Amino acid sequence: MISAYILIHISPGSTDKVITELRKIENIAKISVVAGEFDIVVRVQVKTLERLLKATDKIQMIKGVNKTTTQVIEKEISL
Amino acid sequence: MKIRRKYLFYLLAFSSSIIVALISGLDVVLGKYIKNPLVFGLSIFYFGLLTSILFTLFLSISFKGKSIGERTIDPSFKKIRLLKKEELKYHILAGTGNAILTLGYFWLLILIKDPSLVLPFSQVVILYLVVIESIIEKNTPTLVEIQSSVIVTLGAILGSISLSGTISLESFAIVFLIVNPGWVLQSVYQRKLKMMKINDKSNDSINIRMWNVIFACLFTLVFVFFYDYYTGSSNFSESLKTFVDYFGLLTLAGIGAFFSYVFYIRALGIGKASITQAVKSSVIIFSIPISIALAYFGFIDPISTDPVLIIIRVSGIILMLLGIISFALTLIKAYIFIKMKPGYPIEVTMQKLWDINGVNRVTAVAGDYDFIVKIRTRTLVKGYERILRKIASIEGIKDYKWQSVLKEWEDI
Repeated sequence: MISAYILIHISPGSTDKVITELRKIENIAKISVVAGEFDIVVRVQVKTLERLLKATDKIQMIKGVNKTTTQVIEKEISL
Repeated sequence: MKIRRKYLFYLLAFSSSIIVALISGLDVVLGKYIKNPLVFGLSIFYFGLLTSILFTLFLSISFKGKSIGERTIDPSFKKIRLLKKEELKYHILAGTGNAILTLGYFWLLILIKDPSLVLPFSQVVILYLVVIESIIEKNTPTLVEIQSSVIVTLGAILGSISLSGTISLESFAIVFLIVNPGWVLQSVYQRKLKMMKINDKSNDSINIRMWNVIFACLFTLVFVFFYDYYTGSSNFSESLKTFVDYFGLLTLAGIGAFFSYVFYIRALGIGKASITQAVKSSVIIFSIPISIALAYFGFIDPISTDPVLIIIRVSGIILMLLGIISFALTLIKAYIFIKMKPGYPIEVTMQKLWDINGVNRVTAVAGDYDFIVKIRTRTLVKGYERILRKIASIEGIKDYKWQSVLKEWEDI
């Protein structure tokens, strides 16, 4: 299983529409709206890199998404 | 379907409470026919075991590549499975907790016949949990958490007080020294199990519940065998007879207990054990209509209409709601994105980040950043003083960015 964070920059005023579209995409485990340099942080869980590409592609196709940065998880410690 | 993480947590915890309230009504009805509490408790345990295994098998049925349990209850669930070696220790501890809790409950039933006089005090368990979490979850409780726990506890006590009820010191001792510690042991280790990764996926609440019942039933049976052996009683054989005689009602109680626990364990995977327990103590509110219905059908004495009692109960319910709301509104979550200078080993930095109180998740990533750290705190001041300043002091960190989470959705 491959997990990744996708950091999303969106156009001002498009948060609700982008969130609605993101919620339809499979393989997205978590969506966080954040305040700071990015606008939305998404956590994706996929079986292959091919599927990660597809998920990223779907996100980039959403109207209002300006830029995405994918951070693939190499190691994790959590509660 | 994605749902706001916070709403999912409350949905699960409240559903669990409503089911528990319904089961408590069913227990009262069953108690009319089954007079020996130890036999009653044991036969409920057999049904718990039977229904847990049968339901887990049913939820394992695959349909279009996904099991029924994965589609409906817990996305982490695949199918019924054997325990992993690393889970065994936690299951033994959680199972022991459940067995202690159950035996304590039976003991109370034998002693005072009416558990409703003592059970409200078991809500004090959240105070134990706040203390335990501060020790094992590397999270110092904030004033808000302590205040809210106290408010919910007092509310729960007031909300279900019985004016005619008397309470013995022995019952208090059982609640505080046996029932509540048993509950803490069970909650804390069930949460540990829910947080574990099994085959690189989150552990599922359905298998955790099934194995918890198996272990608890095993420990309880061993205790009853010894009890029967030394006292010459025949609780074991009587419980088997009851199992056959009250099959229908006991099945309902078993199914209810299974789902209430599965929802509770899933909620534990989202919120801290103390907060889950605080929300679950709302069972007292949901049990009021059940009590009214039981009184209407003559299973319990008529409910008092004394205005003093009503005022006390309403005050208790308001306190509980206030406590729960203050828990919900004061949680702050944030991501911290970290860039490192070259020449510092990842594992060492990861451990240093993990050692900071309030850090929930440390992720080493490939991309623009080197680490993404997720934190949970109750106040921004604490976030700055106890987390950010410590991160800034770690050797090798070139740059970091704090991103507060405003809203969050999770796939269910």
